[in-house]
Amino acid sequence: MIYGKFLSKPLKITFNFLIQITLVMLWLIPTAAFDGNEILLQVDRNLQPESYEMYRKLINVEPDGSKKEYVLYTVKKGQDKMVALFLSPASEKGRATLRLGDNMWLYIPSVGKPLRITSLQSVVGGVFNNSDILRLDYSAEYNATMVEETADKFALDCKAKTATVAYDRLKMVVDKETMVPLTIECYAASGMLIKILYYKEIKDFGDNLRRPSVLETDSPLYKGYKSVMIYAKIDKKDLADEVFTLNYLPRVDELR
Amino acid sequence: MKINSGWIVRNSLFFCTSLVLFFFPFSAMAAGEYSFDVEEFEPKSFEWGGYAEIKFEYIHLNTDSAFYRLNFHQDPRSTIDRYTGALQLEVSYKKGITAFNGVLRSEAAQDDIGWPDRADLYEANLSLKPTPFVTVDIGKKVFKWGKGYAWNPVGFIDRSKDPNNPEEALEGYYSAGVDLIKSLDGSLQTIALTTVALPVWQDVNENFGERNHVNLASKFYMLYRDTDIDFVIFSGDSRSARYGVDFSRNLAENFEIHGEFAYFTNLKQNCLSEIGTLTQEEHSANRYLLGLRYLTKSDITTIIEYYHNGAGFSKSELERFYRLVADANTQLLNTGTDTLFQKAENISTTGYGSPQVGRNYLYLKISQKDPFDILYFTPGIIAIVNLEDRSFSISPEMLYTGFTNWGIRLRYTLLGGDDFTEFQEKQNENKLEFRVRYYF
Repeated sequence: MIYGKFLSKPLKITFNFLIQITLVMLWLIPTAAFDGNEILLQVDRNLQPESYEMYRKLINVEPDGSKKEYVLYTVKKGQDKMVALFLSPASEKGRATLRLGDNMWLYIPSVGKPLRITSLQSVVGGVFNNSDILRLDYSAEYNATMVEETADKFALDCKAKTATVAYDRLKMVVDKETMVPLTIECYAASGMLIKILYYKEIKDFGDNLRRPSVLETDSPLYKGYKSVMIYAKIDKKDLADEVFTLNYLPRVDELR
Repeated sequence: MKINSGWIVRNSLFFCTSLVLFFFPFSAMAAGEYSFDVEEFEPKSFEWGGYAEIKFEYIHLNTDSAFYRLNFHQDPRSTIDRYTGALQLEVSYKKGITAFNGVLRSEAAQDDIGWPDRADLYEANLSLKPTPFVTVDIGKKVFKWGKGYAWNPVGFIDRSKDPNNPEEALEGYYSAGVDLIKSLDGSLQTIALTTVALPVWQDVNENFGERNHVNLASKFYMLYRDTDIDFVIFSGDSRSARYGVDFSRNLAENFEIHGEFAYFTNLKQNCLSEIGTLTQEEHSANRYLLGLRYLTKSDITTIIEYYHNGAGFSKSELERFYRLVADANTQLLNTGTDTLFQKAENISTTGYGSPQVGRNYLYLKISQKDPFDILYFTPGIIAIVNLEDRSFSISPEMLYTGFTNWGIRLRYTLLGGDDFTEFQEKQNENKLEFRVRYYF
């Protein structure tokens, strides 16, 4: 050792011990950093910027193969503010849904005023419900613990932070290389499996955003049915907080 | 704006409705790979849309009821078949901070009695939106204030909605208004102030109230601790002053509650006295509503609302009117004169002929989404009960929206109760309605 000439034997032993401990800790730190909540945060940032605008197509597929499609324009700000506006089909055009934390509203132009809706309802029918369509960051709604780590995957067990979150528990499998989810099993508080989400087809959306462009879901409650979300455009966007208010809902289209 | 120009409107409407419905066949998309061309959805300055609708109604009249006798004592019949065609056109134009929205609805019907038709301008509103915080509106605009689903006691400048079809578009009022919004951090998340000036002049909002006055209505909204709260005030000489408050809150991920309370000053109410004369009373009254919306695991949505109308007629006041009509009928049968009918007809226009004129009601709507694994199929039932006289209206219905841009609804409505009660004395005993609507 370089300090061999200058230190007594007990001090050498102590120094050697401290250095080895330090090396062991340095080796351990990267693994320890991957606790469940930090993985969840990383997943959120890899799926979407904190504030953005996005175009999505939602497709409900029936057992006979027939489909019904919806196109939504979505804006999100921070962890808990989100608005989705229906652009198509004509029967739904102009409908807008707003989410502020656990609060959700639906604005229907003919009704003329926003109505409170609940996360388990579905404004489009099919397997996706309102909380899937107006999904906030996973880390905003769940606490995660890592239950398994393999060579290429993390398995997370996510527990809802409050009783008003649509799914009480998520079992999420995360790809280690891309740090985006592969599958998510969604459970009710009773332990019943409500649906499974499958993230597919990684695509470069620009601005360092590489994420799955397709989200599929099926459910034991809707045997034979499938719903698909296709993401076409995700861009960072600065938005005023007032965009995420009931009074602004009839004006959301002006953001485009 | 109403146009009663006879056969031109009627025939044009039927022609347009038929054309639209004929050229847009039912289409559930065929299976295939997913595709999404986002360029198709680029924003445009000018957009238009709307719907065309045809409706068939088979009405079985209650020939012993007060309103049947009032309406049909000179032309008795037991059923009515009615065909209705309607077209609603919506246009919007945006340029910079300016936006224009217009809604026109026209309707023509053919039944055993005649060929009524009408065209109404529902909305024609110019908006200036310089920032996300401010909107200035001028023109004809619809206001729907309050949190109730079937009734809105605090809807001081709203048109009355039909509790059986509360989601249908309504005609607006000519007005000028300013909307201010502010988002905040903390328990108080949002505040917003909407102020509206609503004039009543000749040919402008004439049916709102007394003419030659400009009225002011204001709504202060806040989202406080995840609860929507509105304070509403109306001041003006076309109607008496009124004050209100409402709230709405989600108690769980499948459970919402809401309520409204309104205080009306100096309401003028026409009432049939015990000696058969029409008297006018002026008094203050409360109207309030409490409601909930609950979603079960099997996707059954239940909406329940209790509505109290302190300015409504009591059971005995309504019964007095229905007995007057019964007496009028006896007079006509025995003497051939209809003087009592004329009197009853005049009285019915002073309030007795309006929908839901009683004091206490219960509204119940139960619907199930996608039962038996049939996607886009929503069967349901709507019940409205007058809690004082126990009369009722029950409407089972089936709605199917599985064909893109089409809505198909079949509804049956049954009215019932004891003699001289509100729903028993309505004109119809039951009604079967089939409606097909195409959105474009």
